Amino acid sequence: MARSFTHFLPLLLFACFAVIASIALVMTLSGERKPSELPSALIGKPVPPTELPSLYNPQAFVNIEAATSQPYLVNFFASWCAPCRAEAPALAILAKKIDIIGIAYKDKPQDSQRFLTDYGNPYTAIGSDNEGSAGLNWGVYGVPETYLISADGLIIKRHAGPIDGDILREELLPLIRSLQKQG
Amino acid sequence: MLSPEFGHFCLVLALVVSGAQIILPMVGLLRDDARLIRFAEPLQHLASMAIFISFASLVYAFIVSDFSVQLVASHSHSLKPMIYKITGSWGNHEGSLLLWIVILGLFGMLFVVRETASRLKTLTLMVMGGITLAFLAFSLFTSNPFTRLSPAPPDGRGLNPVLQDIGLALHPPMLYLGYVGLSVAFALAIAGLITGEVSKNWARITRFWVVIAWSALTAGIALGSWWAYYELGWGGWWFWDPVENASLMPWLAATALLHSVIVVEKRQQMVSWTLLMAITAFSLSLVGTFIVRSGLLTSVHSFASDPARGIFILFILLGAVGLPLFLYAFRAGSLTKGSDYALLSRETGLIINNYILVVSTFIVLIGTFYPLALELFTGAKITVGAPYFDATFNPVMGIGILFMAIGPLLVWRRGMVGSARPALLLSAAVTGIAAIILMASSGISVAGIAGIALTLWLALSIGGDMLFRLRPWQAGMGARLRLPATQWGMWLAHFGMVIFLIGALASALFEQENVVRVNKGTEIALGNETVIFDGVEERIGPNYVTETALLRLFDRDGKLIDGLYPEKRFYPAERQTTTEAAIRTRLSGDHYAVLGDGSAESGYTLRLYHKPLVSWIWFGAVMMAMGGLVALYRRPQRAQKASLQAEQGLREAE
Repeated sequence: MARSFTHFLPLLLFACFAVIASIALVMTLSGERKPSELPSALIGKPVPPTELPSLYNPQAFVNIEAATSQPYLVNFFASWCAPCRAEAPALAILAKKIDIIGIAYKDKPQDSQRFLTDYGNPYTAIGSDNEGSAGLNWGVYGVPETYLISADGLIIKRHAGPIDGDILREELLPLIRSLQKQG
Repeated sequence: MLSPEFGHFCLVLALVVSGAQIILPMVGLLRDDARLIRFAEPLQHLASMAIFISFASLVYAFIVSDFSVQLVASHSHSLKPMIYKITGSWGNHEGSLLLWIVILGLFGMLFVVRETASRLKTLTLMVMGGITLAFLAFSLFTSNPFTRLSPAPPDGRGLNPVLQDIGLALHPPMLYLGYVGLSVAFALAIAGLITGEVSKNWARITRFWVVIAWSALTAGIALGSWWAYYELGWGGWWFWDPVENASLMPWLAATALLHSVIVVEKRQQMVSWTLLMAITAFSLSLVGTFIVRSGLLTSVHSFASDPARGIFILFILLGAVGLPLFLYAFRAGSLTKGSDYALLSRETGLIINNYILVVSTFIVLIGTFYPLALELFTGAKITVGAPYFDATFNPVMGIGILFMAIGPLLVWRRGMVGSARPALLLSAAVTGIAAIILMASSGISVAGIAGIALTLWLALSIGGDMLFRLRPWQAGMGARLRLPATQWGMWLAHFGMVIFLIGALASALFEQENVVRVNKGTEIALGNETVIFDGVEERIGPNYVTETALLRLFDRDGKLIDGLYPEKRFYPAERQTTTEAAIRTRLSGDHYAVLGDGSAESGYTLRLYHKPLVSWIWFGAVMMAMGGLVALYRRPQRAQKASLQAEQGLREAE
């Protein structure tokens, strides 16, 4: 019997791939799935309860509270992420206007610390999410990702990707100003 | 004459001719009618010519800024420099698709000219006609580049400034030469499956086209990575982005094919596997096109994505991959022969090579598509980034390099080159000692030391192989230099890998970075050097205005080395800002400066890097590509005999 199962294997693998790609495509076409638009299920909802070991002191914990007296930002970053370096200047500017809580996503603490020494530390508190579990709860798509939280602990805005000058000036700063005025 | 309508007409003509290129020879083969079979070749020439004229009309419309053509209006601008008007014709979806077809036509034409007439050639041309037909239909029905616009706007909307760049202008043609070149091997594999004859001759023909495609693909990927390095301004050269992965997967499969086809040529082994690799390599090129065009995956390369076109590509993919794999499933079994080689042999070495390359292709494939699959079944959006690939791809490649040093020292059927044992023992000893010294005396991570050791091991074994084969200490080296071109090509390509690894390792392990906020006159330390910031100047370019930072670079003794002028450009027509990194490239390493946000009052953000040996990454890639081309060189008959004798002499000497 010359015809063996192994020669069918490539066809089977390809069939699996084709089925997945077809479903994805149909969903994209019907508008159920928007690859460029990230899901905003969390917008307007309270922040997911998050408690992480502090980056610089693993015995202590960083808590992201459901309600604080001030609006704040939550920024997911990692030392292995090139765009995170690109947004370092923008975060430095933001840090002067609003508190930023950093979450080091899937990153070894010593690498994150080195990254912050090199690129500056704009954060008021930093949690270490080495396992990526907090990222899962927040539905993080990739790093860097930034969330704006209102004083009553609701997620106002989500920005995926690095913060550049335009996003800073035209989107984030006006929103922060209006939130701070309300507060 | 070169009006858009004529270009459109030629595209339709090419579609009809490609259809005929399949049907006429097929009828001829079924009826055993030689006249009909002979039609395949002139039809291929006709289709290629029609495609070339069509592309020329599109480029012409860009050159004269004919804004009544929708594509020109949305991607060009009268103020743009001429070179970018021309390259802009393929800096968009419709145009780049037409370029893809042009290269397909070019390969078809060259194939007709180079190969002698045979059943295999006819069948291959039919398959290539099928591919051309599918892509012409895709172009005409979903992405027609010649659509008119009425009324014509007074000026165009311009090209994305990020795309106004010479590296990016050359990157797609080079990459497409690689992608499309693989279609020839693919067509040959299908023809081989149909005829059931996968002979030495089949392998000889296929190897030529695989090597051409592989060399172009290597150069194309290198150009893309070089572009990302100097244009994106992040200082990196590879980001494991889906679009990059899309070009890496066919490269890995083509590398496997490049090696396995030699086994078919020399030994008639690994036949069905080689056919599978030929199908896989081109399929992955199509998958790459699918990823980029369908918008299924988000990426930093937001080129053109329209899901409606994805449907069409999905059908092309189903036909172009599904049918050959179906054919393979039923026919490959009859092509398999029993193996007749020892465990320690060149054959085994190349099988290991192929398995490692296939595993790494799978790793990249999974890293690219797993997030999509997971999202479909669970709704969770995740990202797979550098940590995944560092943990999976790099170790597998490390094992690959371990074997890459041994494989070329093995001989066909059984055993090793006589001089291999001392060469390998010596390399192992030197590598081991070097690794221990590094481990004890430097602060480099274990992974870093492993990388250095593997690179050293590979370099030493190639050097040892060359030394013991050529024996410069003995008389008559002139005769020994006349080794087959394939041997020199292999050495060059493998040594290119060493150079690439040195660049990749040195730039990662010994990089110096500094990110600072500066005011006029600030001194910044960067490793041994110092940089002084002399403020920012506003300048005006042809179609942009720019803020240019003035930086002076001093060495450790305070001597001025050079000036660095990173820019931030604003393109008014597109209302977009780009950053232009200032890069001072030397063989010893690059100084890389990026100007960030800021103002004269609050100061500017600067990012400075020193990346040792980083340009070796691209030198290495160029050497690999050159190695491929060298291996193709065929000497005139007489010299060929001499080189065979030289090889014979070597074997006897062993």
